[in-house]
Amino acid sequence: MDRMASNLLDGAIGFDDPTNPSPLIGRLLLVEDCVETSGAFVLHHLLKRAFSSPNSSNAVIFLAFSQSFVHYDRILRKLGCNLAAQRDNGRFVFFDMLTLGCSGEKTRSGKETDEGVLVGLYCKIQRAVDALIQENKKHVTIVIDDISLLEVAANGSSNLVLDFLHYCHTLLSEVGCSIIALDHEDVYMDIKRPLSLQLEYLADVLIKVGPLATGIAKDVHGQLTVLNKPVEGLQDKLRNRVQNFQFYIKENGTEFFYSGSRA
Amino acid sequence: MAATKPRTGSFSRNFSSAHSSKTPGYKHGPNGTTFISSGIPDLDKILCGGFPLGSLVLVMEDAEAPHHMLLLRNFMSQGLVHNQPLLYASPSRDPRGFLGTLPSPGASKDDKSRDNSSEQEKGLRIAWQYKKYFGDDQESTNAIDSKYEFCNDFDLRRPFDRHFFSGKHVECVSILDSSSLSNFRDRCATFLSQVPRNDGNISSAGRIAIQSLCAPQCDHSNMEWEMLSFLRYLKSMVRSSNAVAVVTFPPSLLSPSFSKRWQHMADTLLSVRAIPDEDKELAKLLTGYQDMVGLLNVHKVAQINTQVPKILEATTFSIKLQKRRYLVLECLNQAPIDVSSGSSYGSTGSCSGSSKTASLEF
Amino acid sequence: MAESICRALRDGALQGELAPTLTIKDNINSPFGFHAFSHVLTQLSSNILAGKSQSRGLVLLSFSRSPAYYVQLLKKRGLNVGSSAKWIQILDCYTDPLGWKQRFMEGENVSNVDQEVSNLSHLCTNVGDMDKLFSSIITLGKAGFVGEGTVRFCVAVDSVTNMLRHSSISALAGLLSSLRSNDSVSSTFWLVHEDLHEEKVIAALEYMSSIVATLEALTPPPYESRSNVDNSYLERRSTKGRFHVRIKRRNGRVRVISEDFNVELAGIKFTSISSEDAVINQVLIPKVQFNLQLSEKELNDRARVVLPFEHQGTGKPIQIYDGRRSLSESKDDNIPLMSNEKGNDDGWGKGEIVYFRDSDDEMPDSDEDPDDDLDI
Repeated sequence: MDRMASNLLDGAIGFDDPTNPSPLIGRLLLVEDCVETSGAFVLHHLLKRAFSSPNSSNAVIFLAFSQSFVHYDRILRKLGCNLAAQRDNGRFVFFDMLTLGCSGEKTRSGKETDEGVLVGLYCKIQRAVDALIQENKKHVTIVIDDISLLEVAANGSSNLVLDFLHYCHTLLSEVGCSIIALDHEDVYMDIKRPLSLQLEYLADVLIKVGPLATGIAKDVHGQLTVLNKPVEGLQDKLRNRVQNFQFYIKENGTEFFYSGSRA
Repeated sequence: MAATKPRTGSFSRNFSSAHSSKTPGYKHGPNGTTFISSGIPDLDKILCGGFPLGSLVLVMEDAEAPHHMLLLRNFMSQGLVHNQPLLYASPSRDPRGFLGTLPSPGASKDDKSRDNSSEQEKGLRIAWQYKKYFGDDQESTNAIDSKYEFCNDFDLRRPFDRHFFSGKHVECVSILDSSSLSNFRDRCATFLSQVPRNDGNISSAGRIAIQSLCAPQCDHSNMEWEMLSFLRYLKSMVRSSNAVAVVTFPPSLLSPSFSKRWQHMADTLLSVRAIPDEDKELAKLLTGYQDMVGLLNVHKVAQINTQVPKILEATTFSIKLQKRRYLVLECLNQAPIDVSSGSSYGSTGSCSGSSKTASLEF
Repeated sequence: MAESICRALRDGALQGELAPTLTIKDNINSPFGFHAFSHVLTQLSSNILAGKSQSRGLVLLSFSRSPAYYVQLLKKRGLNVGSSAKWIQILDCYTDPLGWKQRFMEGENVSNVDQEVSNLSHLCTNVGDMDKLFSSIITLGKAGFVGEGTVRFCVAVDSVTNMLRHSSISALAGLLSSLRSNDSVSSTFWLVHEDLHEEKVIAALEYMSSIVATLEALTPPPYESRSNVDNSYLERRSTKGRFHVRIKRRNGRVRVISEDFNVELAGIKFTSISSEDAVINQVLIPKVQFNLQLSEKELNDRARVVLPFEHQGTGKPIQIYDGRRSLSESKDDNIPLMSNEKGNDDGWGKGEIVYFRDSDDEMPDSDEDPDDDLDI
């Protein structure tokens, strides 16, 4: 039924449950990484998942603050998924946000506030979601790469970022979207009430990516922790369970394995 | 030799085409990237080719040492040698003065004598030095004329002649006054608009060198979000053009949180550190301590168009001035006796993430 | 007990006094505050439906979940939320709290909310305006279920944390206190995430409430460091925790209750603190390769180890060597310590230090100057 072989990460999120092929519906998945180890590969993996499932009612809205389309396209192509084709099919909506809010100085006089920027962005998302639902794409995933850059676009107003995310969150409950967001945890180390803590409250699934405690290794790129909050409809075995494993990133996929079990 | 290069991705370019390309100073890398040289041959090796076009390179300064200037100078000089447009910005009143300190390329004759003389000093190190000529630049070595090499050795004691700048595209900007960050942003945008990215041939590549972006004497130095926003803008502009931006900054002047944000912004992240003077213990511990002027750390290597991180054999290198003229980077943990085995980072193969060679590291 | 909280809220306010108020607070290590909140909500709702409580209805300010979610939740717990029984009114501060949707959806009203929910909920598009919020709560309450006389209703806020993003603490405190002192409010309760606010804010909320319930993880996080992926989540794996309640009683005393809770599929379950605690605690201590704590036996064993400098004290008066005494007097000292102690051995065994040499590199103790290779 599923063309993609399940791995540890999929299992930890709940993709291996045959009764519930889209476990992320109505849930917010947060990936936290740090300077030493990038968590972008989790986004790529989940992106590929969304498109490789036989369920053609999946669609993705991608808010790219950190990389250009070419970058993602090349990576996903090596993973065996053609983003450009998906975009033409109308299953992939790409928002190039590299310069969102950057033209600041000029527009500020033109009365476009930071809030206006995010309201406008949300408006675009909402319209895109509506359009996708119209085309019978029932499960829309919104991917945000990444939140700390969204914060820069909002000129450092974390409240605004939270408001924006709240509005995206309303799409979870209203039309059964999923949200996958990447954030950098180490950015918030010295702040007392960090945005990341708010996000952790908001998240239903939390994935932390970090380097090995023992330092750099050639055949292990880092470790990963998956935490599922106890929400309804979740497999019993995943409820609030913490799972730790390590990963090795390749061009055509990522290997996940338990510590020490790699051949 | 292109064929010996191990590649992991299924979509990779035919490498022989790289050498048929007429324009000097560019090298095709994996995943459709193109490298330009950092101006330091060893740094290019360490970074598996150089700085990829479209990337933002951040260098974390050491408040106690000016090593970041070495990196900037060589980066800029290399651009001048290759006739690439250059934008230099610094927090000084007269940034143009800095151009007078740029090193000029060592003549190829010099190169020979240099190699010979150092052979007497350290025979094994030379073997390693030569190695690069068996690498990607084989053809250019045959061409002898050092001006058309991908990367030159720069003689730090011989400044560029003033007249050399005439006819070259060099812009200098001071980032001292307050409104300058937005002005400067527009300046960068105009500069980058001359080197747009079109998927065909690369006619020219721009180099942006920004020194001490968050220096305390700048009026914007306390506007942390503005600086971050500038960096983000710069990064996205550079991404869509054929250019590389090297920005140095003293992280100690930023709050820890912002320092991290800057680091996340970087495609390639380097840091330089001073080493203590006349430290007997270090002298015992590190071989070649006498020639060392500082340390260089590689924190991130640009991952453009790929998700595979580059795991380097070593991340800490000593910065040495060979014959007091040439900038050389060496693996820190190597005693001279190990050079033959340890220098493998010079060969391109070890740079691919899938390489299985075991590494010894501190 | 969780029971007594619900009872206090059910019984409501006395004439002329402030309405009983409950603050539920949690933190990221035990983020089950919402489960506790919905537990109180459903308990109170069933009391209202059964006519057992002082209040006849409930106004819910939903900030963190959609009204549809609450309707589902109450239905699942077997409560009748049909339009006939208009006992619950939801002030929808979730769907469009800042009016963003309104701003660009001018005119076109996309509503995929079903009829049942939209009957009960009322959209609020400017949650920052506390005065407006207050008047809409009172209007909803009065219009909804307060007919004539002094019929009262409950007010529930599902996330004060979200409210505080849009208003200052003083404005919020003003709203909450005017709710408490309003004649038609029977009781109020709200949820707040403790670690997202300054202590001052939490203190202000606690000051204004008559009951404070805190959800805590059973064991504190073993390490403060959040960077270490392995450790920071060890205790979070538990759906269990401790529920602390402080009830400010009218006679001036404070009643302190602690309970255990466990978040199950069907909701949060409260149990009185069991003797299993000790066991649980031990299990939850992170498993490390070395022992941080000693068992009782190990403690005893350690106590019995005779350290070298203690030899003189084994049951005898301490004698300091005195060169002036004759040899005969110090005869006792010549008896080997080992045999001496063996005689006293009363079955307890004797502790000793077992020492393994780490490696062959380690030289046996010698009188050699360890620093003599130092070249100074």
